[in-house]
Amino acid sequence: MKTGKELGTIKMMNGNEAVARGAFEAGVKVAAGYPGTPSTEVMDYTNLRYKDIYCEWSNNEKVAVEVATGASFAGYRSLALMKTVGLHVAADALGGAAGSQINGGLVLVVSDDVGRIAGDDYNDCRHYGNMFNIPVLEPSDSQEAKDLMVEAFEISEKYSTPVILKTSSVICKTTSKVIIDENYKYEAKFRDKYPISFSKVIMTTIMTKAKGSEHPKLTKCFNDFVANMAQLAEDSNSAHYNRLELNSKKIGIITAGTPYYYAKEVLPEASFLKLGVINPLPKKMIQQLAAHVEKLYVIEEGHDVLEKNIKDLGISVIGKELFPKFPDMMRFTPDVIAERLVPDAEVRKPRTDVPFRLPIACAGCSHNFISSILKKHKIKAAADVTCGLIGCFPHMESYQLQKCMGSSIALTHGYNIAKNYSENFVAMIGDGGFWATGVNGLMNLVFNNSQSTVIIVDNSCLAMTGGQNVASSEFGFNYKPENRLDIAKVCEGIGIKDIVTVDAYEYETLEKSILNAVNAKTNSVVIVKKPCVTQFKLPKSEPFHIEQDACVKCRKCINVGCLAIESKKNNDGEFEIVINQDLCTGCGLCSTVCHKDAIKN
Amino acid sequence: METNDTGKNIIIAGVGGQGILLFSNLLSKYYLKLGYELKISDVIGLGQRGGGVESHFRYSTKPVLSPFIKAGDVDYVISFEQTETLRFLHTLKKDGVIFSSTYELTSTSVNTGLQKPMPESKTELIKAADNKKYIINPDEHKSADFNISKMMNVVMLGYYAEFRGYSHNDMIQIVKENVPEKFVEGNIKAYEKGADIARNNLAAK
Ligand SMILES: Cc1ncc(C[n+]2csc(CCOP(=O)(O)OP(=O)(O)O)c2C)c(N)n1
Ligand code: SF4
Ligand code: SF4
Ligand code: SF4
Repeated sequence: MKTGKELGTIKMMNGNEAVARGAFEAGVKVAAGYPGTPSTEVMDYTNLRYKDIYCEWSNNEKVAVEVATGASFAGYRSLALMKTVGLHVAADALGGAAGSQINGGLVLVVSDDVGRIAGDDYNDCRHYGNMFNIPVLEPSDSQEAKDLMVEAFEISEKYSTPVILKTSSVICKTTSKVIIDENYKYEAKFRDKYPISFSKVIMTTIMTKAKGSEHPKLTKCFNDFVANMAQLAEDSNSAHYNRLELNSKKIGIITAGTPYYYAKEVLPEASFLKLGVINPLPKKMIQQLAAHVEKLYVIEEGHDVLEKNIKDLGISVIGKELFPKFPDMMRFTPDVIAERLVPDAEVRKPRTDVPFRLPIACAGCSHNFISSILKKHKIKAAADVTCGLIGCFPHMESYQLQKCMGSSIALTHGYNIAKNYSENFVAMIGDGGFWATGVNGLMNLVFNNSQSTVIIVDNSCLAMTGGQNVASSEFGFNYKPENRLDIAKVCEGIGIKDIVTVDAYEYETLEKSILNAVNAKTNSVVIVKKPCVTQFKLPKSEPFHIEQDACVKCRKCINVGCLAIESKKNNDGEFEIVINQDLCTGCGLCSTVCHKDAIKN
Repeated sequence: METNDTGKNIIIAGVGGQGILLFSNLLSKYYLKLGYELKISDVIGLGQRGGGVESHFRYSTKPVLSPFIKAGDVDYVISFEQTETLRFLHTLKKDGVIFSSTYELTSTSVNTGLQKPMPESKTELIKAADNKKYIINPDEHKSADFNISKMMNVVMLGYYAEFRGYSHNDMIQIVKENVPEKFVEGNIKAYEKGADIARNNLAAK
């Protein structure tokens, strides 16, 4: 970033930028990922700034991890990027790579959405460190994000293991300084150590039978990952990424990530063990801190992963008994620590009467047309993870069922077979969810003879995460027109009998198409086309307005879920329902629900 | 300009689409030029649309530790939407200062009738706060040169710079270097407008 004055090698970077820079400095060759707040921009920055690195948005996270694993076996350093819920999708792929021989370093950059800042919670990717017995690294600021990214590749190769670099919404979205070596020359790092790499299942099968055999055909299959992790645990006691700060004997704190800084600011006198690698733990350092202080606390974002692992080492520590976990506590802040550990700390509480903000769709969003029609005809539906899930919120009440990304088609199939198709129950899914895993649900529905209806919202991108390309987009990192996948053709190829494609804004045609599909005694797909108005900055039409004389304030129009419609006090202090002229795109949807004909353009 | 300024803690608040991130980005360039250490943490609420956005902006002569500012440690709340201003009043130091637009985007929960609107006027609630406050009503400062409802961020930057006694030349230079070519002129007008409003307000106090 240019500041006018040359700042030498100091750059201001957020965590995502710093991770991308780290990948560059580590000599990564292949980056594959799937978008997910808050870490999506790691890929964007990598693609934008470090052209030497091959980047792809894969179809889903499992595919991304497999791509990276293949590239790693080829000898090149590779990264896979996802948010923590994405790692659930990719867990089997990671399980396959864990414990196996690693040639080029393999690092999964995984981000926890702590504090529900951008929408999900109850997830903590560090559990995968325990489950698969692999290292997990966690930075506290941008400098560490870059440095630990490089370190992650070193660890991956030295101890032959995939590594998770865990970031959080706070790390990703906090900008702080990073020192850059301007003279660094990129070189794709290559290491070709193992001629084979099999999952540990195969390895164990062979080795259990072959105990004591020195035959190279057998030994080359074996990677002693348990010993490797034990070695890393031992080495981490003296590694630079873990830091013991012995100060006051009263309070000792074991911590990692941004909570280190919260605690450091509130308790500058305390003794700290600041972890860079949170799995495996440096037992000796922990023992040393425990012996030094009267009271030992663990301050960790997310679940009680560190706490349990420390207790497993036989060291007692105070954690969640003092700092209850989500949802009792949203996220750590300096305030939370001060309130519990600083005597007489002044506690400031926010006003409780300020109204909260529910999410809502952009003005002119195609999702609103679909949820409006479903509601109007009392058609029940499962929503996918898309911008359209806003229709699940209590002001909209358009959907009855909503689970994970790509799920709505199979959910609908299950519901309908159980109910013998006695109700009108359809699936709504985005083009992203469709390609991610939904297409599996669709194939399943066909060969299992389902008669369900699927509405695919084709807005040409992953809108909710900021407009990344999907298989059917007309853009993307590796886009070529001839390689674009066509949703209708794929549906046809799979064997869907009844396929229509409609423009979202053609309200009556859309309504008729959905009703026809629902009434058809066969499987059917309605593809609703309209590029995302926000991501593609579609031109606006004449805005609509509400004629106050005709309006009876029934709020039906507000419940279509459009950001442009507000209830506001007028100059006489009375509430009116109004359309924000700056925001309205003139899509006209609200006028279809007004029984008083008060909405005009 | 304050001499010996060792740093400040600022919360910048508003709703999606108000350019909060641009505001903090421009401001950060200024403090970097002066050689301060910085940490800026953006909190973007659920969904980009109509949700609250807050930026914790800290500059200091010493390394900044926590990315979040503890409630009670905030020097300035700079807010582009008055519901959001109310959300952060409790975070201010006793001598902390409020800069708030009277612009309001009604909360969805109120629009949809899930929550009752606050009975009091939000502007009056802000005026009643114990802190020093500077309130800007965008409707009173409409200009033919730029759309104030879309450029409150840069208006506020001018206002804040005037309040702090910062060099407008330096600030305008930063604006020039960091906004796309075709928006530079409008942005400078908006900046100057903000500085102007501040001059009048400050003189009136
Ligand atoms: C397994 C998983 N991966 C990633 C995400 C993050 N995510 C949330 S919505 C979304 C994009 C949805 O795109 P699409 O299905 O096209 O719907 P749109 O938002 O465009 O309507 C993504 C990637 C997630 N929630 N779960
Ligand atoms: S980003 Fe696009 S898909 Fe999402 S709510 Fe806005 S218009 Fe709709
Ligand atoms: S639907 Fe019509 S009558 Fe009802 S609030 Fe909206 S404009 Fe008024
Ligand atoms: S016409 Fe109605 S629904 Fe469409 S953008 Fe304008 S206010 Fe929203």
